[in-house]
Amino acid sequence: MKVTINKQNEKTLVVLDGRIDSTNADQFQQDIASLMEGEKPDIDIDCTNMTYTSSQGLRVFLLLQKSVMARNGKMVLRNMNPRVKEVFDITGFSNIITTI
Amino acid sequence: MKKRFNPITDRSSEIVAFLMASPDMPKDEDLRFKIELSIEEAVENVVQYAYEGGIGWLEAGTSLDDKSLILTIELRDAGMPFNPLEKDDPDITLSAGERPVGGLGIYICKSMMDSISYRYEDGNNVLVMSKRV
Repeated sequence: MKVTINKQNEKTLVVLDGRIDSTNADQFQQDIASLMEGEKPDIDIDCTNMTYTSSQGLRVFLLLQKSVMARNGKMVLRNMNPRVKEVFDITGFSNIITTI
Repeated sequence: MKKRFNPITDRSSEIVAFLMASPDMPKDEDLRFKIELSIEEAVENVVQYAYEGGIGWLEAGTSLDDKSLILTIELRDAGMPFNPLEKDDPDITLSAGERPVGGLGIYICKSMMDSISYRYEDGNNVLVMSKRV
């Protein structure tokens, strides 16, 4: 999983590329640690090239969503592929994390 | 196709890769995604919890019924007796603030596979998942 994070004025643009599974979920969590900081975050995550996530990846997305809400911020996950979107749908994550 | 992995510490991805390379697996990418995800969740459960941090083995196998096209995946371990199917399904209607972190693995298996069963046999946990391919 490659994580690219760019700050543009008030917005934080993130691009995810690859898979999140049991081998790299901890690393993924470390890679996005900077997103867990700062007031009123506005985070836009491009998921076009995220090809897979296991429950360990979902865990990190939930922690991030909780953190963003606690800081009165907002976050969207953009352009998820249909297979990954189905994982978000069946686990109810599509209801608690904004996907567009 | 069947293989016993011993020990299994930190070997989830190797075990998943072994099963996904089985000739019994379908070629269809959507099916493969669901099967791989279910296998990873089930294997990870054993690797993380079955032996409570100790050393142990896991036997992983696949079979395919040529007539019904039902793929079966069997995982067997000698860890502490544990039926993962007894766990309540997560409440997926909770808000983000209320949702507990974790506990989704077996629920994902149940959702992605057609059937999943557990038995304790000869001192082993046996988890069997199947899907029409």
